[in-house]
Amino acid sequence: MIQHPAPKFASNEGIIDAARAAIGPALIDAVEAHGEIALHVERTGLVDALIALRDKLEYQQLMEIAGVDWPDRDPRFEVVYCLLSVTKNHRLRVHVAANDDQPVPSVTDIWPVAGWLEREVFDMYGVLFEGNPDLRRILTDYGFTGHPQRKDFPLTGYVELRYSEEEKRVKYEPVKLAQDFRSFDFMSPWEGADYILPGDEKADAKGDAAK
Amino acid sequence: MGVDLAPVPGTAPDPSFFNDINAELDNKGFLVTSTEDLFQWARTGSLWWMTFGLACCAVEMIHVNMPRYDLERFGVAPRASPRQSDVMIVAGTLCNKMAPALRRVYDQMSEPKYVISMGSCANGGGYYHYSYSVVRGCDRIVPVDIYVPGCPPTAEALLYGVMQLQRKIRRVGTFER
Amino acid sequence: MSQLIAEASPTTGDEVIQNYTINFGPQHPAAHGVLRLVLELDGEIVERADPHVGLLHRGTEKLIEYKTYLQALPYFDRLDYCSPLGMEHSYVLAIEKLLNIEVPLRGQYLRVLFAELTRICNHMLNLGSHVMDVGAMTPNLWLFEIREDCLNFFERASGARMHSAWFRPGGVHQDVPAKLLADLDEWLDTRLPELFEDAISLVADNRIFKQRNVDIATVSKEDALKWGFSGPMIRGSGIPWDIRRSQPYDVYDRMEFDIPVGTRGDCYDRFMVRVEEVRQSARIMKQCLREMPEGPVSSNDRKVVPPKRGEMKQSMEALIHHFKLYTEGFHVPEGSVYVATESPKGEFGVYLVSDGSNKPYRCKIRPTAFSHLQAMDFMAKGHMLADITAILGGMDIVFGECDR
Repeated sequence: MIQHPAPKFASNEGIIDAARAAIGPALIDAVEAHGEIALHVERTGLVDALIALRDKLEYQQLMEIAGVDWPDRDPRFEVVYCLLSVTKNHRLRVHVAANDDQPVPSVTDIWPVAGWLEREVFDMYGVLFEGNPDLRRILTDYGFTGHPQRKDFPLTGYVELRYSEEEKRVKYEPVKLAQDFRSFDFMSPWEGADYILPGDEKADAKGDAAK
Repeated sequence: MGVDLAPVPGTAPDPSFFNDINAELDNKGFLVTSTEDLFQWARTGSLWWMTFGLACCAVEMIHVNMPRYDLERFGVAPRASPRQSDVMIVAGTLCNKMAPALRRVYDQMSEPKYVISMGSCANGGGYYHYSYSVVRGCDRIVPVDIYVPGCPPTAEALLYGVMQLQRKIRRVGTFER
Repeated sequence: MSQLIAEASPTTGDEVIQNYTINFGPQHPAAHGVLRLVLELDGEIVERADPHVGLLHRGTEKLIEYKTYLQALPYFDRLDYCSPLGMEHSYVLAIEKLLNIEVPLRGQYLRVLFAELTRICNHMLNLGSHVMDVGAMTPNLWLFEIREDCLNFFERASGARMHSAWFRPGGVHQDVPAKLLADLDEWLDTRLPELFEDAISLVADNRIFKQRNVDIATVSKEDALKWGFSGPMIRGSGIPWDIRRSQPYDVYDRMEFDIPVGTRGDCYDRFMVRVEEVRQSARIMKQCLREMPEGPVSSNDRKVVPPKRGEMKQSMEALIHHFKLYTEGFHVPEGSVYVATESPKGEFGVYLVSDGSNKPYRCKIRPTAFSHLQAMDFMAKGHMLADITAILGGMDIVFGECDR
């Protein structure tokens, strides 16, 4: 039962079937969870799928392209297209999976707004978009290396800035923190800690000695 | 609601001070002072600041110039050009991409120049201290005279910061850099 | 007159006229923050505009992944610092959607009330700076007086002038004093209309203001859809789309308000849509104040909402809950949602991915300014250099949100 006060849009009923009919075999999976529909689509069939969704199912607006990094999965990255239909008052998500050597077809021809949104995903994750006419970095510093939103990119990055009085310019240096970021482990030991609890190593040693 | 604008008894300026100066002027036609005092009076009385709004603090920086707080009472007026300004208020998070521009603006300002670092992000990175794209304190880029704490500091806090800068100028005169 | 011979103009010969590139910003008073625009000019006509953003990129999304859900909330205040509560609204609704938690009616009313106050607060800044960008000074001074009042109200409700962190998952952080509601009611009747209508009467029919704004950067309905416009920008183009009305959240479905729509899609329309929105916001706030029920302001689910301090002093259980929620925080069920609300600037969305732990796995923020600013190139093409400031003012861009 819905108790939350989050935005209520038109019913999801029949949308998955309609999408399956419109997209065809490129649709890998369709999931309805938390009141929202997510369509998982083949990377190569993305453009045709989105054109079908726009023209046949009236999803006129592309609101957002989000990247997600799943280091354990293959392909590693997920690109999520959030679509909005202003006539049917419905929202839909289209998910595509990709690796950093597998370019995702660009949708800039369908929605020009995708230009910057794709640039941002490229900047943050390093996912390539084939056909984007202007795939430069957008948010990070000029001359930045790495893709900051990847899970293996450290929070504090690798370089920091300082004005050098000797060289009379702002220069980059390796990060040196006065105090490290304090990350607490909140998992209670009895809820499944994946490390050896303090004191437990003695128990093992004793067990060995008894043998 | 609102602010009571009637002066609190005892806070009005001392009339005898003005009467003395008036009498001296009427009497002799000139005033005698040291150049040091004159310069300090001029410097503290017209601290034109460089509008360097970066983030949230910029909004409070605008507020302090608006009718309610009216910073111009102190001769502190916003200027858009670094060549004409005396003090730079670094208001907001200073990011790596912005840092060279900040330094360039600072270098363009004419001496003597002062810097007020406003808000915890400019003071030391604050809430964004551990981010990969934030300069951990604008004092890594430019020398800072006054730090105003807060996230964001209220308009009153910035007003107080400006008054502290005036005090500092009066006390030390020109800063050695 | 017949002797007059058309003489060859000394300046139009064989010489090649080169386009001129200028750099606007990143430090410019009309840039509304830290925008850097690279403009290619032909004389004074803009041929191409290339906005460089990211000068305020603070890595918010990365930082959020390292904080618990509650610790990440204040980052949202600092995104769009002109309308802090509008940003929080999307985030708390996204968490509530994943948790499927009920929010008491008074909490919902308070949220709507203050979200609308935020809208007024935001539009005061935008309308004021828009008129200032095209040359008028006085309205800005008066509108900021209203903003100052708004900030006082925020301070009385939450303790902070700007960054309230007052909307929490499950409701709002604390109840408001009764006097505040009475004062708000009086303010809506007296000071707001007085100052606001005075200031707007100076510009709404002003000849200079119209010359600077009418027919500048006209956007058709089709373009508005293609470029992902939302909020006053899409309504200025004539599409009556308002998430508060079509996809109501909290108690917006009980509110009666009109959605202003523009006819031509130019900067003047966008300005006037915002002007009317302020009046409608005042109307919504009046309804909220009239209908607001008594009762709790946040959910009683102690696995999500921490108990009040008074309760904590009496009950051991409350103390444990308080400790757990402020250290470990609450766990959010696995899943992903995209929740968008009508922030004062348009559709502000949060795409939240949870892996079942106490920290967001991924929190993608959908800023309004990002897609609007992208359209700068096609909106500015063929206009004069001086119109750039009017276009920027009509877009209502704040860089904290655009760059994150």
